[in-house]
Amino acid sequence: MKNSTSATKRGLSLVAVAIAALALGGCAPATPEPVTPTASDVWIKAVPELMDGMAMTGVFMTLENPSDEDIVLVGATNTTEGLTETPMEIHEVVKNDAGEMVMQMVEGGIVIPAKGSVTLKPGGYHVMYWDLLKPIPVGSHVTLTLEFSNDTTLDVDAVARDISTYAG
Amino acid sequence: MTQTPAEESETPGVVSRRGFLASAGVVSSYVAAGVAGFAGGALTVNAAQASTPEKEAQLRAGQQSATIPFYGEYQAGIMTPLQSYGTYMAFTLNPSTTLSQARSMMQLLTDDAARLGKGKPTLPDGEPYLATEPARLTSTFGFGPGFFTKLGLQGSIPAGFTELPSFSIDKLQPEFSGGDLVIHVGADNPLTVAHAARQLSRTAHTFAEPAWSQSGFNRPQYGVASDQTGRNLFGQVDGTVNPRSAKEFDSQVWATSGPQWFRDGTCLVVRRIQMDFAGWDKLDDTKKETAMGRNLHNGAPLTGTKEFDTPDLKATYENGMPVIASFAHVRRAKTDNPAEKFLRRPLNYEDGLLPSGEPNAGLIFAAYMTDIQKQFVPVQQRLADLDLMNTWTTPIGSAVFALPPGCQPGGYIGEGLLG
Ligand SMILES: [Cu+2]
Repeated sequence: MKNSTSATKRGLSLVAVAIAALALGGCAPATPEPVTPTASDVWIKAVPELMDGMAMTGVFMTLENPSDEDIVLVGATNTTEGLTETPMEIHEVVKNDAGEMVMQMVEGGIVIPAKGSVTLKPGGYHVMYWDLLKPIPVGSHVTLTLEFSNDTTLDVDAVARDISTYAG
Repeated sequence: MTQTPAEESETPGVVSRRGFLASAGVVSSYVAAGVAGFAGGALTVNAAQASTPEKEAQLRAGQQSATIPFYGEYQAGIMTPLQSYGTYMAFTLNPSTTLSQARSMMQLLTDDAARLGKGKPTLPDGEPYLATEPARLTSTFGFGPGFFTKLGLQGSIPAGFTELPSFSIDKLQPEFSGGDLVIHVGADNPLTVAHAARQLSRTAHTFAEPAWSQSGFNRPQYGVASDQTGRNLFGQVDGTVNPRSAKEFDSQVWATSGPQWFRDGTCLVVRRIQMDFAGWDKLDDTKKETAMGRNLHNGAPLTGTKEFDTPDLKATYENGMPVIASFAHVRRAKTDNPAEKFLRRPLNYEDGLLPSGEPNAGLIFAAYMTDIQKQFVPVQQRLADLDLMNTWTTPIGSAVFALPPGCQPGGYIGEGLLG
């Protein structure tokens, strides 16, 4: 939370610096500087131990788009050292023909509507980690970079939480 | 000192009991809300103020959305005027839990508690809609003796934080005793308490096993005609002698010396007191009042007329017998020694019927003080030695915890100890 906020602030201040630089240059940009969405409540489902074929997990958050145009979350890159070698994917959970809930890549990415927000949560949209090389204990943090359709990126920090801790 | 003793709720129109008393206008609006029934006939004078469904809905919404700030100099839920519902949960640290994991646990619990206090769900909340009525929710955390010894923090135990001696009256059961971590949740809405308790206990469960959980209730704070203290299930007015001013809290509750991490923290004693209703029912009102040393109708000492009159322990009847008997609870608990005063924040419990037909019920006695040895033990010893109320009450659970101070955004509860 704290770290994701500071990542957001960093993103915003970079935009501010860029705008200031343009103003100093005295020439108006042909197109407005692209807006970076903000991320809050970023968390990842903890993976306390690696199990065969189960070394995967999802990242959840709320993305907000303050701009006047839709922005799409198109990709993500892990920046946590040694966590995975496999590219990350943008996923959704849908019902397949057999009536089972399955996850799949989101065609075109996740749209964050203009002046709106979208929430990634268990059972819905998520950013997918595959082939984890080490566990993600509850309370630990992972970092990743989100990539958007307007070529902006956002570094986020996700705290690891567990959603079912009961035995049996 | 940044907080007033009675933390005002942040929602306009919904105030603590103290604020409530300060504002006659609020008195009548609470009556308008149709809750005057709690105060019996005492408020009928105000009942002329007509109630409308709109007003009722507005007031209800205000009560349910009222919040108590989580962050601050002190932990919330201690100075906070007693909520109507509460749960104390204790946990035993897993043998494998390390200091750094304990730090993680407190960081996550802090994050959960801060969100819940604002009426927001926790990050992994599967029932986010249950978080939307905070109703003065507070979450408070403390560490039992085992927390220090298991994590190698023995050197940080405050001098006045000690286990209680065993008292002759105790019949302690392990399922209500001990614990390395305590989480106390309070709110004016029982669903809110249950949801917060589940969220926080689930977070703790990664690092610790449940030891015990005790839930209880009090009379709601609104719609009350007077500043009268709540009653226990024997009908007694209980908890009259409580710190009220910031100065009293400073001298009785908040630690001002000892290890740095403990400054502005406090100690908590939780005792589960089973009530013997079979025996109590055999007493007439005079006997009940003699045992307590207070009258039943308003809790005034038998030497006075109002609840907050100071008991006159020297007063005698014409025949020379003391008005407040030697064995009366009030006499045994009363102290003029300022060093033996502390905060009581009790909850009543009621867990169904026993095979005998009487309720399995009693009191979750929760007391907060700077120094258990100096403030609590002498009083409890006097009660154990000679208090007629012992005839109808039995301590069946006991636990002690050291509570860290509050924290600021970005920090976490216990950071001074674990950081
Ligand atoms: Cu997936």
